Amino acid sequence: MPLWLRIVLRLERAVGGPVEAAVHSDTYFDVVAELSRGSRRVTDAVESVSKRGLHLLNLPAGTDIRRVREQLARMDRRLLEISKELEALERERA
Amino acid sequence: MTPLQLSPGDLLGRVNRDVERSYLRARNGLRYVRGSNRPKLGSTPKDVVWHRDKAQLWRYRGGSVRFAQPLLIVTSLVSRSYILDLLPGSSAVEFLRDHGFDVFMLDWGIPDELDAGNGLATYVDEYLPRAVDAVRRETGCTELTMAGYCLGGVLAALYASGHPDPGVRNLVLMATPLDFDEMGPMVAALREGRLDPEDLVDETGNVPADVLYSGFFMLAPTTVVAQRATLLENLWNDEFVRGFQAMAQWTRDQVPFPGAAFRELVEQFVRRNALMDGSLHVGGREIDFTTTEAIVLNAMAEKDTVVPRAAAEPAGALVGRPERRHRLLLPGGHVTFGTGRSAFRHTLPSLAGWIAAHSDERSS
Repeated sequence: MPLWLRIVLRLERAVGGPVEAAVHSDTYFDVVAELSRGSRRVTDAVESVSKRGLHLLNLPAGTDIRRVREQLARMDRRLLEISKELEALERERA
Repeated sequence: MTPLQLSPGDLLGRVNRDVERSYLRARNGLRYVRGSNRPKLGSTPKDVVWHRDKAQLWRYRGGSVRFAQPLLIVTSLVSRSYILDLLPGSSAVEFLRDHGFDVFMLDWGIPDELDAGNGLATYVDEYLPRAVDAVRRETGCTELTMAGYCLGGVLAALYASGHPDPGVRNLVLMATPLDFDEMGPMVAALREGRLDPEDLVDETGNVPADVLYSGFFMLAPTTVVAQRATLLENLWNDEFVRGFQAMAQWTRDQVPFPGAAFRELVEQFVRRNALMDGSLHVGGREIDFTTTEAIVLNAMAEKDTVVPRAAAEPAGALVGRPERRHRLLLPGGHVTFGTGRSAFRHTLPSLAGWIAAHSDERSS
């Protein structure tokens, strides 16, 4: 193994140890959780403003499309459940 | 030996080698940066013999089958199944097939909005029994060897312990986590409520693949530097680059985790550690791991950082009847069940040997 690679590997471990300790700590996960909630709040706020603007122009916003996709997915899931129930009934009858 | 101590012939040979390697480094480096010449993964020839929703059962072609019991591999829900069939010549599936097993693999597909409602029961009570029926139909055998990898091992153990006629003769648990108290910091954050499962589920109703990737990446965030440096040193070596690209692609290629199954996993496995205390319910049934008639092999890897040995070890004391439990500790990490030098030197020969010893030879 060449010297430069040995140095890089040793450096990586020297830095990696403390970095791993930091990202495995309780504080890190508290910060990540808070950041993710914060970013969700900011996204919601921005979306609510842009939605109002788009609705003024009678245009659908991203949240509308998302809601439609969710409704479609729910309907798809329900259809799938019904087809599985039917399949089970047919199996019983057979 | 310094260059001054070398004979002119040796020196010339060394210069030639370095020039050739520099050329190969430049060529492979360009290909790597461009993203061209990516290896084709999961390419062992196979047929889809059953499917339901996104789940597919594959049967691998070729090889002469020596053993009467087919081998059904149950893959994890959080990663792509091709880790067990990474590259030609470096594929667990290929190895097992070439050692006389009729290999099937149950792949769960890539979940989307439609799968957000899939709970553990969907996998254990709906897909797995049907897949086993399909293996039985295809082979005419009543019994099989079921090998579950990672979370697939948990699903396999739940299936083998919860059904009246599971048809599982041998149950191989590969890096299967049972003690979720030992599963590391991200799981601990979920257990202690510092991370809420709802924070991780997106608008599709699933935990996005990125979140799972971040979770794995954060286990050792700086190793990427060491990996890249090692790649740079070995960039002249086509085989090394091919293996590196394949592993890098698999590592990044996570799949979303179905929301309902994730909530159940957090509630039952993580917060109550129900796999350990025997209070687990799936699909309304109480699961008792000791009811399985299967001969159980608990295979774990010494240096596994994804499913630490402490999390996998209890499976050996909980699943199956005490007199039918076996244990195998392997060198290597989490992927030693699929690829890498240690896989082909230790893991796969040991696994194949154990399965062969607990299977019947096929009558010709």
